[in-house]
Amino acid sequence: MVLQVITGNRLADGVSVWFAGANGWTEHVDQACSYDDAGMEAALAQAKPEDAELRVVDIRAVEVTHEEGKLFPVAHREQIRARGPSVRTDLPAGVWRDGTAQLPPLPSSTSSSPFAGIYRYDEYDRDFLRQRAREFGTMVERRRKGELSEDEFKPLRLMNGVYLQLHAYMLRIAIPYGVLSATQLRQLAYVARHYDRGYGHFTTRQNIQFNWLRLEDVPAALAALAEADIHGIQTSGNCIRNTTTDEFAGAAADETVDPRLYAEIIRQWSTDHPEFTYLPRKFKIAIVGAGHDRAAVRVHDIGIESYRNDVGEPVFRIFAGGGLGRTPYVAVKLRENLPVPELLRYCEAILRVYNALGRRDNMYKARIKILIREMKPDAFIKMVEDEYASLPADYCLLTDELVQAVAARFPEPELPRQDGGVLKAAMLDDRALARWVKQNTHPHKASGYVSAVISLKPVGGIAGDASADEMDVVADLADKYSLGEIRVSHVQNLVLPHVAKDDVPALFKDLVKAGLATDNIGLVTDIIACPGMDYCALATARSIPVAQRIAERLAPKQHEIGTLHVNISGCINACGHHHVGHIGLLGVDKNGEEVYQITLGGAADEKAAIGRIIGPAVPTAKVPDAIEALMDAYLKLRETGERFIDTYRRLGAEPFKEVIYATH
Amino acid sequence: MPLINARAEEISSTAPDVVLPPDVELAAVLPTLGELAVVAVEFPKFRDGRGFTIARAIRQHGYQGDLRATGHFLPEQFLFLISCGFSSFETPVEHEPAKFAAALAKPRQPGQLLRRSLARAREVA
Ligand code: HEM
Ligand code: SF4
Repeated sequence: MVLQVITGNRLADGVSVWFAGANGWTEHVDQACSYDDAGMEAALAQAKPEDAELRVVDIRAVEVTHEEGKLFPVAHREQIRARGPSVRTDLPAGVWRDGTAQLPPLPSSTSSSPFAGIYRYDEYDRDFLRQRAREFGTMVERRRKGELSEDEFKPLRLMNGVYLQLHAYMLRIAIPYGVLSATQLRQLAYVARHYDRGYGHFTTRQNIQFNWLRLEDVPAALAALAEADIHGIQTSGNCIRNTTTDEFAGAAADETVDPRLYAEIIRQWSTDHPEFTYLPRKFKIAIVGAGHDRAAVRVHDIGIESYRNDVGEPVFRIFAGGGLGRTPYVAVKLRENLPVPELLRYCEAILRVYNALGRRDNMYKARIKILIREMKPDAFIKMVEDEYASLPADYCLLTDELVQAVAARFPEPELPRQDGGVLKAAMLDDRALARWVKQNTHPHKASGYVSAVISLKPVGGIAGDASADEMDVVADLADKYSLGEIRVSHVQNLVLPHVAKDDVPALFKDLVKAGLATDNIGLVTDIIACPGMDYCALATARSIPVAQRIAERLAPKQHEIGTLHVNISGCINACGHHHVGHIGLLGVDKNGEEVYQITLGGAADEKAAIGRIIGPAVPTAKVPDAIEALMDAYLKLRETGERFIDTYRRLGAEPFKEVIYATH
Repeated sequence: MPLINARAEEISSTAPDVVLPPDVELAAVLPTLGELAVVAVEFPKFRDGRGFTIARAIRQHGYQGDLRATGHFLPEQFLFLISCGFSSFETPVEHEPAKFAAALAKPRQPGQLLRRSLARAREVA
């Protein structure tokens, strides 16, 4: 006999609830009523009266087993919903905040970061965000009164970054082109501390996600963030999302064009775009301005490389149709040498073709990448060019005046410090410092400075997670050493972009004290991992524990192994970028057991490539063995100075396949 | 179903001369719209945003008559519809005209950020 219970999530706070018959909904699975097949239909009718949607959403039956008087959901996902994330046993599922506590004043009321390289909002911009927070409050009210159905409300809440996940609502906040001021980071810490359970998760799209929001609290959380000029606008939904870029933008020695300016212009153009807010599917744009692609532009819906033409003017190379997910593609090139005034016009033309012709019958085929492949790239490019040619000449023209208007609101960092030799001397006596500098700093265009990466990947920790306290520490360090500016990288780490070389030893000391001095940037333990089944409703496997086990196993050899990107996703949607990891791991469910598919040879940079699956999936417990065997083989096979990816390109998958499948 | 104009005022109903489905082949239709009084564009579901692009293209082609949104759309989309060139709206049963009027009360305008940046720079200069 199959035993089932009825479950859903409460509308007001998103908490997972279980149906207890005449007693209504309970927060504990043990108090639920269980039904056999015969009783289920009547029970569902009782649990789902016509107005059920006003209280509980996503009502459905799930299978349970009955052991020693307790009920246990069968599916992993439902077990996690019932208990809480398996990787945070300190945070049980259920109600954790009653919402009545008086909150302290906002950090933005006492702190400001006048030198940080963020776009300067004026009162008008701030009012725009306050207005959006209030509008979202109205939508929530309309939903709770039944004026909007769940079906109508969902796209509206998504457009404001609000998802319903396993344990609560998730709020995704944009960090436009990855730039934050210390004040903004403190404001994020405030939201983490008071509206969430003390932490946030930095993602590969330069966003931060809070996992434990109550729908009722979201308008207040958005209002708090608005006071520091941050928002969740268009961080989800089928619209143009947060534009991402290189975490070293405006600082990197190898940069030719600062992409933040154009990213900000794209943000302003795409926010509330009247024509492109109900696209067939989400739309992601990334832009870089250095010879080396640190923002994976070739796996975005539109990817933009800015560079300088013969006469030194910035121009753009435009790609479209890259993407990951279940059908990964590297983008096709549409244009070289696109002049600045044409940037938005060309994007308009691409989006117009996509909005008119992108598939709407099947959400798995709705991205622009599919349209381009179904039409064939040449036909698509011709349509875009025709559309572009037919736009009125002044339509969406990015005039010099407009560019200057936006540019004027980015403060130019003052970087007067020279290299006084302090760092070099300190590195001679301090090997830990020397190693951290080698691994975690990046050359700056001002010779007295470096950009310093703060790893959010302590071995055994959760990739990309930062506690409210850690955020406050990083904000303080940014004030002390980096003009009050912080960057979020697409590999889920934080960056202090402008640190004087002479200050590096002091910074390092402070980081050690705060437990934030992990020296693993670009190494095997600097793993990209999506939240996986511990938090995500779409997951087929937990990615976090696998990342933890791999990091623990390989940490002792990581410096010997050198540059290696391991990327892990908890389902085919590929939020963990597994397709473009040198080693990619995709967690799938095989008869109720988590197993991992291994891909090799992916790359996200200017040599972008989709990794190849090397064979049958490996059981979770065997993954660290498999990766270790792979690494041992690589260490034997590599030529001097050769990275894993280069050895792979030289020798192919064969030698690696052999050793992986010999381990089990 | 009530028909409203872009100020959310109820207006008397007139039948459209043509109703364009969302998958209309625009290149073929654009030259035929010229003198028509009312062109309607259908929204099968509010999430289906093809009507926005159709409206923009029709206006950019020079059509000056009444451009009408029909089908299912939300008060939350009213400002976007107006921006794309719609001038009359057959409001869906689920959402009464008063809710559209409420949406107009907002000071917010779609696509305002970039325009505003320019305007502000000119003010300052
Ligand atoms: C936890 C809630 C999340 C949900 C429900 C979610 C949902 C999705 C879905 C459905 C896709 C596939 C889109 C498609 O193929 O059309 C996707 C792709 C993607 N997501 Fe997420 N995601 C979540 C979290 C994240 C996180 C935490 C990150 C960053 C670490 C992220 C970054 C991405 C990226 C980079 C892609 C692939 C690129 C692309 O083709 O769009 N997402 N996500
Ligand atoms: S890859 Fe899948 S499991 Fe991971 S965050 Fe994305 S949707 Fe969730």
